[in-house]
Amino acid sequence: MIEVENLTKRYGDFTAVSQLSFTVRPGEVLGLVGPNGAGKTSTLRSVAGIIPPNGGAIRIAGVDLLADPVGAKRKLAFFPDEPRLFEYLTVRQHLAFVARIYGVDHHEETAAPLLEELELAPKADALPSELSRGMKQKLAIACGLLHGPAVMFFDEPLTGLDPLGIRRMKDSILRRAREGAAIVLSSHLLHLLEEVCSHVLILKQGTKIADGTIAEVSAQFANGESNVSLEEIFMRATGGSET
Amino acid sequence: MIRALLYLRAHSLLNLLRVRAKRLRQPKYLFGLFAGIAYFWFFFFRHLAGANLPGAGRGVDPVQFIFVAFAVLGLIRIGSAWLAPTPKPSLDFSEAEIAFLFPAPATRRQIVHFKLLGTQVTILLSSLLLTLITRRGAALGGNPVTHAVGWWLILSLAQLHGLGAAFTVARLVEGGMSRARRQLLVGGVIALLIGGLAWGAWTTAPEAGAWMSDWQDKHPGDPLITAGTAAYIREVSGTGIIAWLLLPFRIALAPFFAPDTGDFLAALGPALLLLAAHYLWVMRNAVSFEEASIAAAEKRAAFIAKIQSGQRPVSLRAPKARKAPFPLRPGGGRPETAFLWKNLLSTHPWLGPRSLIPGAILTVMLATTLSPRLSFLPVVAAIYFIMLGPQLARQDLRSDLVNADLLKSYPLSGWRIVLGELLAPTAILSGLLWLALLALFVMTGRAADLPGWLTPTVRLAGTACIGVLIPPVCMLQLLVPNAGTVLFPSWSQAGRPTRGGGIEVMGQRLIFVAGQLLVLLAAVLPASGFAVLAGFAASLTSGPAVSFAIAAATLLLALGAEIAAGVYWLGHRFERFDLSAEALK
Repeated sequence: MIEVENLTKRYGDFTAVSQLSFTVRPGEVLGLVGPNGAGKTSTLRSVAGIIPPNGGAIRIAGVDLLADPVGAKRKLAFFPDEPRLFEYLTVRQHLAFVARIYGVDHHEETAAPLLEELELAPKADALPSELSRGMKQKLAIACGLLHGPAVMFFDEPLTGLDPLGIRRMKDSILRRAREGAAIVLSSHLLHLLEEVCSHVLILKQGTKIADGTIAEVSAQFANGESNVSLEEIFMRATGGSET
Repeated sequence: MIRALLYLRAHSLLNLLRVRAKRLRQPKYLFGLFAGIAYFWFFFFRHLAGANLPGAGRGVDPVQFIFVAFAVLGLIRIGSAWLAPTPKPSLDFSEAEIAFLFPAPATRRQIVHFKLLGTQVTILLSSLLLTLITRRGAALGGNPVTHAVGWWLILSLAQLHGLGAAFTVARLVEGGMSRARRQLLVGGVIALLIGGLAWGAWTTAPEAGAWMSDWQDKHPGDPLITAGTAAYIREVSGTGIIAWLLLPFRIALAPFFAPDTGDFLAALGPALLLLAAHYLWVMRNAVSFEEASIAAAEKRAAFIAKIQSGQRPVSLRAPKARKAPFPLRPGGGRPETAFLWKNLLSTHPWLGPRSLIPGAILTVMLATTLSPRLSFLPVVAAIYFIMLGPQLARQDLRSDLVNADLLKSYPLSGWRIVLGELLAPTAILSGLLWLALLALFVMTGRAADLPGWLTPTVRLAGTACIGVLIPPVCMLQLLVPNAGTVLFPSWSQAGRPTRGGGIEVMGQRLIFVAGQLLVLLAAVLPASGFAVLAGFAASLTSGPAVSFAIAAATLLLALGAEIAAGVYWLGHRFERFDLSAEALK
């Protein structure tokens, strides 16, 4: 479970996120949407413990992120838009490294089915430079899933993937949610949110515009019309411009 | 078309200068510029304004041997251009140049012209820099202008020759000549050339020792090593068959070695004719280079992108999977070790722990063959590693800054990440310093004139004490650039080689090196004071070996405390570190 209360993040005089609160329960997938500069990535990075927020409270699977960041991080996995991999570590060595960092005992037993599921097994001894963009993404996911996180954050998870990769990424996210993970993902791709997310949170200039299930948010901006697309809802909610 | 290409070159250069001038509004570049100018003034320009460098123009000036090194490299380059050229010749174009020029309505000759014009900018700048580095080549005769033009001719000829050779070989390959046949033909020509030179030297060259001695008598004020050697080479290369075999080389080098303006002007004509002949050769042989140029540009772009993103690729070649430096035990265990393991994997395998024992054996073998009078060599090497090592061994936060988000998502306290990141460069530098120390120990052991108190026991104790102190000193030193990366990431980024070079970026690096040495002194000197006091107190009741040990233990404790405080503090800063916020500053 992810619980965020009054999260605020400032860069100097600029407020990127202001008094943001939301909750994601196990099995839910929250889609974070908003125009460029709305504060999506700042929100994700703050709740993942990567950057320090200026105010608010964050609990990850019951652990206070600000009071016990190490304990909270053991429960989460963060997947940036670009897979961050170490150039000179093979797929197998990546998993060995991450296992040591997270203190995963007998990681081979967990890693083997992960590699199979993500179709990485034949590439176990390959370096990142020998992998396609989609395979790199899969390796980043395998590393994130190795310690069995209860909470996952995806920042633009479909960037650079081909249609097959997109399909598999969606399936993977939905599968983790079905297994009980609480998931937050940020994306500009509204069709992804419609297909994958149970809830949506619209941000504009760091402030929450709307929050709830897709049906609830649609109802809020539909003005009584039926069959209004999420794209139209997004345009109405944000004014359709960059911030 | 050429006018459009000239427009592109001229405006690119002007805009580059504008961007460089504009960024001087940022203090980091402005201070860097001051430091860079001060460096150039002190080391290169000062004597041009009249002040004399100590020993300038007299005695041995090792810097002037750079031209000899360049000559050797040039010969290797020319030889390799014929013997082992790339299967398809390529010209160095940027990806943007390829995108705009290759589909443009321009002939291949026009594109080659564009490339040749573009490289002239680099060659002109290189000529000026080399002239400065060789300090006008004063000991060789001539003046700054003749040397600058001489360098320009040499570099232009080398560039054209490489290109012409690549084109010619590509034509031969297209004509059906096999690789083996080509190498046999080229190798035969080179062997004949070398054989002819050897035979000429054997039969006609004067005996070097007597000739140099005679020359020294005639020129008592001039340095023998540089001017005397140059004169000897001139003498030998102008005699008999050697003169004919080396004619093209002599023509190319004559303007550079011309002792006065008259000789220079006389040498310039043939050299320019040689250049023109090379130009015609290149233009007449221009073959398809587009495909190989595109591949080379893509490789180069990927290489630059890696550096700009904070990684430190070893070469343009794709990396290969390496054997782990040591087995990483699965499951429990200190996570810092995983960082050491990861970062050692990212560097040359011969810098790993497996190289230490073979390195030690080689060091001992070398040290036992060298004269004890050369004991200063390991000391010089150690000083080099201490001063520049932390700038070269960067397998730490500096190269992992691009992964800061990933590192911060790990369930680790900041100090553990910092400590883990520091381990690999500490291990690498410690290993190198240990080898230097071992060499010093072996070489001094064979010296006949050691002071009486420096018994083998004392030397062994002293060496062991220094050996124990090396890792903490290295780690303390590495803390400084890593702290710089966390505290001033934008400075650290600007220090990367492809963020646009320039005198100001060089100045930034100088500031970093100076800061690192200052902080090291501030950290080590007080601790050393305590250590000396403790050692002195011990010496009142014990021998030198015990005193060394007590002093080293005191220093070790003090350095350990400083490192612990530094790592903890830097770890805390890393936890609060926000690259996105820093980027806005």
